[in-house]
Amino acid sequence: MGLVFSRLFSSLFGNKEARILVLGLDNAGKTTILYRLQMGEVVSTIPTIGFNVETVQYNNIKFQVWDLGGQTSIRPYWRCYFPNTQAIIYVVDSSDTDRLVVAKEEFHAILEEEELKGAVVLIYANKQDLPGALDDAAVTESLELHKIKSRQWAIFKTSAIKGEGLFEGLDWLSNTLKSGGG
Amino acid sequence: MFSLFYGLYKYMFSKTEFHVLILGIDKAGKTTLLEKLKSQYSNLEGLPPDRIVPTVGLNIGRVEASNTKLVFWDLGGQPGLRSIWEKYYEEAHAVIYVVDAACPSRFEDSKSALEKVLLHEDLQGAPLLILANKQDLADAVSAEEVARYLDLKKLDERAYTFLAVSAYDGLGIKESVNWLVDVMERSKRTEMLQLRAGANLSST
Repeated sequence: MGLVFSRLFSSLFGNKEARILVLGLDNAGKTTILYRLQMGEVVSTIPTIGFNVETVQYNNIKFQVWDLGGQTSIRPYWRCYFPNTQAIIYVVDSSDTDRLVVAKEEFHAILEEEELKGAVVLIYANKQDLPGALDDAAVTESLELHKIKSRQWAIFKTSAIKGEGLFEGLDWLSNTLKSGGG
Repeated sequence: MFSLFYGLYKYMFSKTEFHVLILGIDKAGKTTLLEKLKSQYSNLEGLPPDRIVPTVGLNIGRVEASNTKLVFWDLGGQPGLRSIWEKYYEEAHAVIYVVDAACPSRFEDSKSALEKVLLHEDLQGAPLLILANKQDLADAVSAEEVARYLDLKKLDERAYTFLAVSAYDGLGIKESVNWLVDVMERSKRTEMLQLRAGANLSST
């Protein structure tokens, strides 16, 4: 599976440094997804500046992961990770209906960031294996994805622990970036 | 104060930007059309048809044609995803409705989805371009025949036309864009959207 991915993304960015942010509330399944993709070793940074960023370096693409929500005092530091971001992968726990409102607010707040204006957005409606998980249409509605009008987006039903849907999403992402992005 | 005048200046002298929605049921060829538009009207390559997967969200194409800026919004057509179409109506200047002309078994589905679109008040007066797509296939029916199948009522208050195209090989794409630009430049809806944008501008 890792190989498929490698073919997908090789030569996509040339030698340019690229960044893909993997974001979502805590417990959405972000780290599990990275492990599933088997692209490399997940390295946790030492949280010297107050929040923990996991990084996977894959050729010239940096996948960087952190939890949205919580402490507002550390948020300014998030910006250090915004430059050169081509894409955002937003991971939602589709079964955690209580927190979908928070997930929505955090999501739209991050999309407002000036330096992320050009990034395309891939949404993983994750944890489809759990009972009561909302489907892609319902998650679309809850996250108010229709408010996104100036960039491309797509939503995929995923189950990170079963490994389902992840590559379909990445396939979309690589195609979209290839054909000129947002 | 300066920003106000600057905003006004930009509003009056920038090229008009038109938003065009690409709608239609799944497998009609909306994204293939979008990619073809991109490759014909911009320096972007556009994705080859064999790499296109079903859309589950929004694809965007920005092109320039006849001195106007066109922004195409291509939305997924699977039944569960059609509910988000209407969220984009309010800001759309015109609608392209794509029909797979080689698949008569789905004309009924296509017709009822389009009727729903036309009834929505947020799309009042929006010009409508209906494309009889997939003309590259031998069994595709003509634009006239698609018109007969769809048998649309209550179209009189908007500009509309039927054209035969092939998003695959590019047949009819230029005519489609020319028709769209022409009617959008003259449509009441464009005036209305411009007025609204102007009103928003002066209130901020």
